[in-house]
Amino acid sequence: MAAVHDHDVAHAHDHHPSGMMRWMMTTNHKDIGTMYLWFSFIMFLTGGVMALTIRAELFQPGLQIVNPEFFNQLTTMHGLIMIFGAIMPAFVGFANWQIPMMIGAPDMAFARMNNWSFWLLPPAALLLLSSFFVPGGAPAGGWTIYPPLSVQMGMGMDMAIFAIHIMGASSIMGSINIITTILNMRAPGMTLMKMPMFVWTWLITAYLLVLVMPVLAGAVTMLLTDRNFGTNFFNAAGGGDPVMFQHIFWFFGHPEVYIMILPAFGIVSEVIPTFARKPLFGYSSMVYATASIAILSCIVWAHHMFTAGMPVTGQLFFMYATMLIAVPTGVKVFNWTATMWRGSMTFETPMLFAIGFIFLFTLGGFSGVICAVVPIDIQVQDTYYVIAHFHYVLVSGALFGIFSGAYYWLPKWTGHMYDETLGKVHFWLTMIFFNLTFFVQHFLGLAGMPRRIPDYALQFADFNMISSIGAFGFGLSQLLFLYVVLKCIRGGAKAPAKTWEGGKTLEWTLPSPAPYHTFETPPVVR
Amino acid sequence: MTTAKKNKATFLQIAKAVSWAFFGVRKQSDLDMDASNLTPKQVIIGGLIGAAFFVLTLILLVKLVTN
Repeated sequence: MAAVHDHDVAHAHDHHPSGMMRWMMTTNHKDIGTMYLWFSFIMFLTGGVMALTIRAELFQPGLQIVNPEFFNQLTTMHGLIMIFGAIMPAFVGFANWQIPMMIGAPDMAFARMNNWSFWLLPPAALLLLSSFFVPGGAPAGGWTIYPPLSVQMGMGMDMAIFAIHIMGASSIMGSINIITTILNMRAPGMTLMKMPMFVWTWLITAYLLVLVMPVLAGAVTMLLTDRNFGTNFFNAAGGGDPVMFQHIFWFFGHPEVYIMILPAFGIVSEVIPTFARKPLFGYSSMVYATASIAILSCIVWAHHMFTAGMPVTGQLFFMYATMLIAVPTGVKVFNWTATMWRGSMTFETPMLFAIGFIFLFTLGGFSGVICAVVPIDIQVQDTYYVIAHFHYVLVSGALFGIFSGAYYWLPKWTGHMYDETLGKVHFWLTMIFFNLTFFVQHFLGLAGMPRRIPDYALQFADFNMISSIGAFGFGLSQLLFLYVVLKCIRGGAKAPAKTWEGGKTLEWTLPSPAPYHTFETPPVVR
Repeated sequence: MTTAKKNKATFLQIAKAVSWAFFGVRKQSDLDMDASNLTPKQVIIGGLIGAAFFVLTLILLVKLVTN
C-alpha cells in the first residue's frame, strides 16, 4: 500500500511556515492534535493545582490556607477547567491525530476550521482564568453555575459565560468536522460497520456535542441577559424560574457526562483487543450499546435534581430511565472482559490503564446506580458520596482512558518507545493514590459530609486527611507522566511501524513517527 | 447491496433491529441482514420512534406504579 509518498518525507517542511507561525497557521491534523493534547495537559495541571489547594485546605478541620470565598472559586474553577479545558480537548486531540489515520483519510474534512476550533481555546481559557483577578473574583457558585448565585456574582461570572460560549463554539465546530470526516472520507471498502470502535464512539459523541452544546449556550446566554439586561428568565421575583435553569443545564450536562466517557470507551476498545491479541468481542453490540447509551443519556437529566422539587412521577421516570443505562454499559463491560477471556494477554502500560479503567469505571457506574435510586439520592445529594462517584467515572474513567490512549499511540506520534518501566510506575502510583483519594470519600459522603465546604465537623477528620495525602500523591505522580512523555519525544528506542503485535487498525500500517502527510492515496480496506 | 434490496426492509425488521440496539446486543447473522436490508435513514427514524416509544412505556409504568 502506497500510504506515504516519498515527497512527504523530503518536503515535509514545504509550503508551511516554521517556528511559532507553523503552529499558528497549521491546518495539519497532526499538528492540531498535538496542540489540543498539550493544551489539555496544561489545563489538567492548572485544574490539578486548584484541586490540591482544595485538598490542602481540607487536610484538617478549620480554615488554614484559603478563605472560604476563594475556596468556592477553586471548587468551581476546578470543575470548569477539568471538564472544558482538560478532558474534552484531550479527546479532541486524540480525534485529530487518530481519526484520519484510522479511517485512511489524508486530513480532517475542514482543515482551516480545525485550526480555528483549536485557537479559540487558549483565549477562552485565558478569559476563564483571568476571572480570578477581577473584582469579586472567579465564579464561585459551583461548576453548574446555578442561579440565583450565578446572577448575583461579580464580573468574573460574565467572563466565565463568554469563555463557555467560545469553548462551546469550538466544540461544535470540532464535532461538525469529525462527523464530516468520518462520513465522507473513509478509505474505499471501510463501511461503517468496519470502522474502528474509537471512530464509532467519536462519531456518536460528536452528534451528542452538536445536540447539547447549543443548549448550554442558550442557558448561559439567558444567565447573561438576566445579569446584564434586566430579563427574568431565572428570577422568581420577576416571574422566572431558577429550577428551569437546572433543567436546561442538565439537559446539556448529562449527555456531557457521556461526551466525556464515550471516547474513552473507544480507546479502551482499541487497546484491549491489541493486548489480548483477539478481535473485540461483540463489535456490533459495542456499536449498538454506544448508540443506545447516547440516546438514553438524553432522557435522564433530572436525576441530578431529585431534591430540587419535582412530582413523584417525574422522580420515578428519571430513576427508571437512569437505571436502564446500566444495561448497555453492562454489555460493554461484559464485551471487554470477554475480549480478554483466553486471550494471549500482555500487560504493557496502555493495557494496565485499560484494565484499571474497566475495574474502576465499573465501580463508579455502580455508585451511579445507587445515586439513581431516589430515596438514596435524597440522602447523598450534595455530599462527598457524589464527589466520589463522579471522580470514579471521570478520573478512573475518562482520564485513565486518556492515559491508556496516550501510551498506546505515543510511539506512533513520536517514533520512539516510551519508558515502559516508568509508564508502569506511573500506572501503579496513579492507581494507588487515586483510590486513596476517592474511595474514602464514599465513606465521608455516607457519613454526611457536604461538598463545597472549606471546613468540616471533627468526625470527618481522619478520612479527609487520608484523601488529601492521596490527592498529593496522585497530583505528583502526574509529573512522572510529563517526564515520560518528554523523554519519549526527545529519544528512546526506535518504534517500529507496527508498534504493538496485536495492532490491527490502519495507523499501524504507517511508519513511526507518522509522516506529516499520510494516506494522500487512500488505502483499500478489504 | 442494491437499492432495490434495501427497500425491502419491513417495519418489523427495523423495529427488531432498533429494539436489540436498545439492549445493546445483536447476533452476527442478524446484523449482516440488517446491514444489507436497512438504510441509515430507516435506522435513525426507527431509533427516534423507538426512543419515543421507550419514554411512553416508562411513563405508563410510572403511572401504573403511582396509581
